[in-house]
Amino acid sequence: VDCQSESFRYPQLYSPGQQNLYFNKKVFVRCMMHSWYSSLILFFIPWAAMHDTVRDDGKDIADYQSFALLAQTCLLVVVSVQLCLDTYYWTAVNQFFMWGSLAAYFAVSFTMYSNGMFLIFTSAFPFVGVARNSLNQPNVWLTIFLASLLCLLPVVAFRFILIQLRPTINDKLRHKVQMEALPAPAPRRPPPRRISTRRSGYAFSHAQGYGNLVTSPPGWSPGQTFTLKLSQYSNWWCFLADECRCHCESVHMNIYRI
Amino acid sequence: MMASSYNAKEEDGHHSGATSHGGAGAVKSKKPDNTAFKQQRLPAWQPILTAGTVLPAFFVIGLIFIPIGIGLYVTSNNIKEFEVDYTGVDVDSPCYTCAMNFSWNNTLPCTCSVDFTLEQPFESNVFMYYGLSNFYQNHRRYVKSRDDSQLNGDRSALTNPSKECEPYRTSEGVPIAPCGAIANSLFNDTLDLFHIDSNGSRNAINLVKKGIAWWTDKHVKFRNPGGNSNITLAFQGTAKPVNWRKPVFELDPSDPENNGFINEDFIVWMRTAALPTFRKLYRIIQKKSSTTPTLPSGKYTLEITYNYPVLSFDGRKRMILSTISWMGGKNPFLGIAYITVGSICFFLGVVLLIIHHKYDTRNNSADIPN
Repeated sequence: VDCQSESFRYPQLYSPGQQNLYFNKKVFVRCMMHSWYSSLILFFIPWAAMHDTVRDDGKDIADYQSFALLAQTCLLVVVSVQLCLDTYYWTAVNQFFMWGSLAAYFAVSFTMYSNGMFLIFTSAFPFVGVARNSLNQPNVWLTIFLASLLCLLPVVAFRFILIQLRPTINDKLRHKVQMEALPAPAPRRPPPRRISTRRSGYAFSHAQGYGNLVTSPPGWSPGQTFTLKLSQYSNWWCFLADECRCHCESVHMNIYRI
Repeated sequence: MMASSYNAKEEDGHHSGATSHGGAGAVKSKKPDNTAFKQQRLPAWQPILTAGTVLPAFFVIGLIFIPIGIGLYVTSNNIKEFEVDYTGVDVDSPCYTCAMNFSWNNTLPCTCSVDFTLEQPFESNVFMYYGLSNFYQNHRRYVKSRDDSQLNGDRSALTNPSKECEPYRTSEGVPIAPCGAIANSLFNDTLDLFHIDSNGSRNAINLVKKGIAWWTDKHVKFRNPGGNSNITLAFQGTAKPVNWRKPVFELDPSDPENNGFINEDFIVWMRTAALPTFRKLYRIIQKKSSTTPTLPSGKYTLEITYNYPVLSFDGRKRMILSTISWMGGKNPFLGIAYITVGSICFFLGVVLLIIHHKYDTRNNSADIPN
């Protein structure tokens, strides 16, 4: 999660991490099952589609090089779309790398299987012509589409069901945020005088923290700044890294007000 | 630890005196710039899986896939295909004697003929394939047993083939061209097709042997050493593969564009198949005109010159006649798969809609505890 306003309004967002909800044995087994299922799909769908098949001009398409390219392309597409499903923040950088990665795969494939590369490095690039001859077949694209969808539909359905039946704190929050349609928070103007940035910079609440110190300071002399206890998130609250200026500033504003 | 971290009087962005050397020089600030990129404030699209996106998506996918599946299935069903197994396993099969009497030292080729009947006429171009079963062209050592430089016409590779071709690299000290196990196992049966018309006379059907290999294979990957003319001279100093009856420059002496390494039957064979049961294009029967079918229904005879032994590894040989459509040969799998996936998608959409209806009201009331 990020330094937007939600994450300090809802510190319960950090509790799934503390409770090890994202990576435990159950999740691992679920991941294994998904991989097992995907592997079967990614081999057997191309296998069944290529069995005794030929191109639309009668020539071969069920040779080992075309089959390899088909399975590989199915895999790339599935992995990319799975990544898309797991990306919750689509910035320009994400878009560029996501589509760029797929485009780079096709670009590199066509380059590696081109005449030029074959003539220069003959034994290293024996797949000459495979990309051109198999990727112009509607048969092949239909197979890729089918394999990708078969791998991804269970994931989407499963996630949707989980969101409906057992929403996690993240899901509820995202839903709520979308309902409220919050605008992006405006960057706050830096105050004229700012506390130093040498705070210890950890934002995870795994350790006890300095709660004891801040809730019962040994002695508070004027001019010293301390972090104050703010409702119940005292044990880790404002010890955030320098980058999360927005949090620090808001706390400083609270302190100065006092 | 506390004492060093808290020193309220220091200016913004400066480190405490202990960390900066000398203290008098300018200290570079480690604070990142206040740009959207560095402060992680880039405008972002935040998709989440709501009912409004997922459910329509499922229904749309279902509605798209089912017609595609039906189209594919109908197209596949309209493709006509006919298969003749001529291995000669059964005693009453026409090629039984050829299969049983096979020997490597046979000088006289063994011929057999199989009669069959086509129930339906075949229109448009008809493609004739030979199919092999239980033949593992995808075995790793087999697939690597070739020299692409030699096949590309490289002179040095012609006389000194790659080590990958072992043990089919040299024959009695002379380099083999083309080397390797793939070339050595070239399919060498000859198949001829005859139509028996109503008078009982046999008409040979014209089988076109060019245009069966990929264009890139024929014009880029496979080249004859020293060009297509004087091919016998070019291959001097090399030996033919061990299992071949003729050397490579006699594969088709009548046509220099189809002789040597660029012989299309050879090229088709060298494109190794992915699965143990495969078919390779052998000949094309071109369509005559839009009115007459290419292969009218009736009796046919397949004349086979049985040169290729498969019984030793329990393989099977067959001849396949097939028409072609935009999706290739006859393969009902894609059609059935699309129909199945579309239906499952649609059904899942309905189920999810029911779940959503039942549980969404509960969701709205549940709030995040503050």
